[in-house]
Amino acid sequence: MTLRKSAIGLALLAATGVQAAEFKWASTTDPQTMDPHAVNSAPVLGFLNNVYEGLVRRDKDMSVEPALAVSWEPIGDGEGWRFNLREGVTFHDGSGFDAQDVLFSYQRASGEAADTRSWFAPISEVKVIDDYTVDFMTTAPNPLFPSSIANWMIMDQGWTEANDATVPDKETGNYATLNANGTGAFKVTTREPGLRTVLEPFGDWWGEAEHNITSAEFTPIQNPATAVAALLSGDVDMINPVPIQDVARLQGNDEVEIIQGIEARVIMLGFDHQAETLKYTDDAGKPNPFRDPRVRKAVAQAVNVDAIMSTIMRGNAEAASQLVSPAMSGYSAAHANRPAYDVEAAKALLAEAGYADGFSFGLKCPNDRYLNDEAVCQAVVSMLAQIGVTAELDAMPVRNYWPELREDNYDMYLLGWSPGTFDAEHPVRFLVATPNEEKKLGSWNFGGFSNARVDELLPAIQSELDETKRQAMLDEVTQIIQDEQVYVPMYVQPLVWGTRSNVDLTQRPDNFFLLRWVTVN
Amino acid sequence: MFAYIVRRMFQSVIVLLVVGLVAFSMFRFVGDPIDNMLGQERTQADIERLRTELGLDQPFPVQYFKFLQGAVQGNFGVSYRQGRPVSTIIAERAPATLELAFVSGFLAITLGIALGVFTAIRRQGVAANVIMTISLIGVSLPTFLIGILLIYIFSVELDLLPSFGRGETVKIGNWSTGFLTASGLKALILPAITLGLYQMTLIMRLVRSEMLEVMRADYVRFARARGLSDRVINFRHALKNTLVPVITITGLQLGSIIAFAIITETVFQWPGVGLLFINAIQFVDIPVMAAYLMLISVMFVTINLIVDLLYYAIDPRLRVDARAT
Repeated sequence: MTLRKSAIGLALLAATGVQAAEFKWASTTDPQTMDPHAVNSAPVLGFLNNVYEGLVRRDKDMSVEPALAVSWEPIGDGEGWRFNLREGVTFHDGSGFDAQDVLFSYQRASGEAADTRSWFAPISEVKVIDDYTVDFMTTAPNPLFPSSIANWMIMDQGWTEANDATVPDKETGNYATLNANGTGAFKVTTREPGLRTVLEPFGDWWGEAEHNITSAEFTPIQNPATAVAALLSGDVDMINPVPIQDVARLQGNDEVEIIQGIEARVIMLGFDHQAETLKYTDDAGKPNPFRDPRVRKAVAQAVNVDAIMSTIMRGNAEAASQLVSPAMSGYSAAHANRPAYDVEAAKALLAEAGYADGFSFGLKCPNDRYLNDEAVCQAVVSMLAQIGVTAELDAMPVRNYWPELREDNYDMYLLGWSPGTFDAEHPVRFLVATPNEEKKLGSWNFGGFSNARVDELLPAIQSELDETKRQAMLDEVTQIIQDEQVYVPMYVQPLVWGTRSNVDLTQRPDNFFLLRWVTVN
Repeated sequence: MFAYIVRRMFQSVIVLLVVGLVAFSMFRFVGDPIDNMLGQERTQADIERLRTELGLDQPFPVQYFKFLQGAVQGNFGVSYRQGRPVSTIIAERAPATLELAFVSGFLAITLGIALGVFTAIRRQGVAANVIMTISLIGVSLPTFLIGILLIYIFSVELDLLPSFGRGETVKIGNWSTGFLTASGLKALILPAITLGLYQMTLIMRLVRSEMLEVMRADYVRFARARGLSDRVINFRHALKNTLVPVITITGLQLGSIIAFAIITETVFQWPGVGLLFINAIQFVDIPVMAAYLMLISVMFVTINLIVDLLYYAIDPRLRVDARAT
C-alpha cells in the first residue's frame, strides 16, 4: 500500500515538477453515503463534489461554469434548456460518458426514492438528441435551472445497473452507498464509513489538475478539542470547523492558519403567525402578540445584532437584512438596511400595539445545529427583557427540535437557512410562501405566514427570464418581508476553517471543501 | 451448581428483556431520525412515507417486539445512518474497543495489584506516599480531562504520540488489530492510560486497604511466628485472601471499561463501538442504539455470572454452604 502510494507520488513528482503531498483532513460529520442522489445534505454533496461531477459546477466565487456540459442555451421561448456535453470524458472505471448517462442520472435523481427529487420539479421531459446533446424541457420558463443543478451528479448507467443500484436506497443501502464511480478529479480508494475515506487523483480526469495531492484521507472527528489538537500536532492538515472560542488562540500559532469567510446561512428568529393564543409561560392562552407586525418590528429593534456578533461570534459574522446574504443572486441591494437597534423605539411600538406592560412567551432554540446557537438565544432573551418582554428559553438538540417546530410547539423560534440554489427565490419558496403540500411550497414556513402578493409573485419570479424584471419582483417581495417583519434576520453565519500553514486552499461560501484547489507546499 | 447456573441464566434473560423495554420506551425522547435522513427540500409527504417505511409510526411495544424478533435470529436491523446491517458495523468496530479495553484492563489489574501490595507493605515509605497522592488524581479527575491533558502534553507539545485514531491496522480474518504495527501500538498508549487510570487507582486502593486489614489478622501473625518468609506471607497468605473483593470489583470494572470507553473513544476519536454509539445518539440511529444497549447488557450480565462462579472457585466457604443447602 505504502509502496504503491510512494510510487505514484514519485511518478507525479517527475511528471509535474511540483512537490507532491499526502493530505489529511477532518470534519465533524462523516458523509453518510457515497450515493449522490440518496441524501441532499451539505456534508454528502460537499464531499462527493470531489468524486462526482454535474453538467455544471461552481467556481471558487460560486459562479456557474461548465463541467460535463461545455455549453447550454435556452430552447425556444423558455421551453427548456439544451446542454451540449463534453466529449472524451471517462468515469473512474474507464467507461465513457455520454447522453445516456445524463438521462439515466436524471431518472435516478428525480425518482421517488431520491432525496434530490425537488431539483427536477420544473422538468417535464428529458430528451436525448444525440450522444452529446440533451434537452431538458420545463413546464414553465426556468431561467435558474442550469444553476440549480450544480450539485446534481452524473453516474454511469452501466456501472450503476451492473451493481444493482439503479434506485438510491438510503434505508438499507446498496452498492452505491459504499462505492463511487464518478468523473471527478478524485476517486474513492478506501471507504470505511465513520472511520476514514481515502481518495486518490484520477489520472484520466478531463480537467487540468491545480492541486499537488497524491492521496487524501478524510477522518470524521466529532470532538472539537480533539480536532484542534490533531491540527496543532500536525496529524491532520485541515479541520472544518474550528470552534469559535479557539480562533484567537490558533491565530497566535505560527504553524496553523485560520481561514475565515461568511457562509450562505442566515440566522433568524421566526414567529407563529397563525396561532390565536400564546402557548407557553404564564401568558399561555392570552392572545398571540406576534400576529401584530408592530410587535415583530419591536423584536427586530430590540435585538442588538452587533453585540451578538462581537461577543458570541467574536467578530466573525456579518449582519443580515434579509433572508439571503449579499453574496447570493437576487439579493435586494435596495433593502440592505436592517432595523436599527433602538430600545426606546421598540418600547414605543409595543405600547402602540397595546403591550406597554410587555408579555411573556416561549422561545424554542436548537443547541447543536448552528454555531453557538444556544448562546445566541440566551442573548436574545436578555435583550428582549430590556423592552419588558420575558422570553422563556427552551433549548434542545436538533433531533428533538424539528419535530417540535413541525407540531407548532413554540411562540418564537430560531432558524438558519442556507439557500440550496444560491438565489433569493429559494427562501421565499420555502420560508415565506403559503404552505401548500401539493405544490411543495412553504414546507419550512412553520409559522404559517401567508401573503397573497408573495404567492402571486413567486411563480412569476421562477419563470421570469429578464434579469431586471426578476430583480424588481424580488425587491418587491423583500419589501413585503421587511414591512411585515415576517422573520427577524440577524446575521450570516461565519465559516471558520483551520489549516497547517503550508497548505493553500479555497473556501467556498457553501462550506464545500474541494481537493482540486489544494496545494501543499 | 447446575441449578444455580440455570437460575442465574433465567434471571439474566429477564434483565435483558427489561433493559430492552426501557431502551425502546426512551427512544421516542431521543428525537426524530427522519429530519436527519431527509434533506432540507423534503416535503411533509416524504416525512410520512419514510416514517411508515421505517415502522416508526407504530407504538413502541410493537417496535420492540419486531426488534426482538429480529434479534433472536441475529438480525439487528439496518443502521439509519450508514444503510448497512448493524451486526456488520458492530463487528467492524468491536475489535477497536476490545483491544483498547484489554490493554487498559491489563494495565489496571497488573499495576493496580502491584502498587496496592507495594503501598500496603511499605506504607510508611516515601515512595508509597507519593504513589498514594498521585493516585488521587486518577480517582478525582474526569476521564475526558485526563484524555485532553495527555493529548496536549504528548501530541501537541512533545509531538511523541498521535492525537487521535488507531494508527495503521492489520486485518486478520474479520479482526482488525492495532497490535502488529508501530503506529497502532503508539496510538494505543494514550487512550489505554486514559481509560485504565481510574480503574487502576481503584484496584490499587482496594488491594492496599484489604492487605492492611489482612496483615493485622491472627493467621498472618501466626504465620510470622512460624518463621515464614515475608514473601510467602505477603503473596501466598495475605494477597490471596484480599482477592475476593478485588475480583468482584475488577469484574464489574471490566464491564464498565468497555461500556464507559464511550468517553475515551470520543476524546481520542477511537473508532470503537462507544464512538459508534455516540454518533448513533446524535443521529437518532435507533437500530444501532438498540443493538449496542443490548450487547452491553449481555456483557454485564455475563460478567456478573462469571464473577459469581469465580467466587466458588476462590472461596471454599461458598462451596460448603452450597452443599449444606
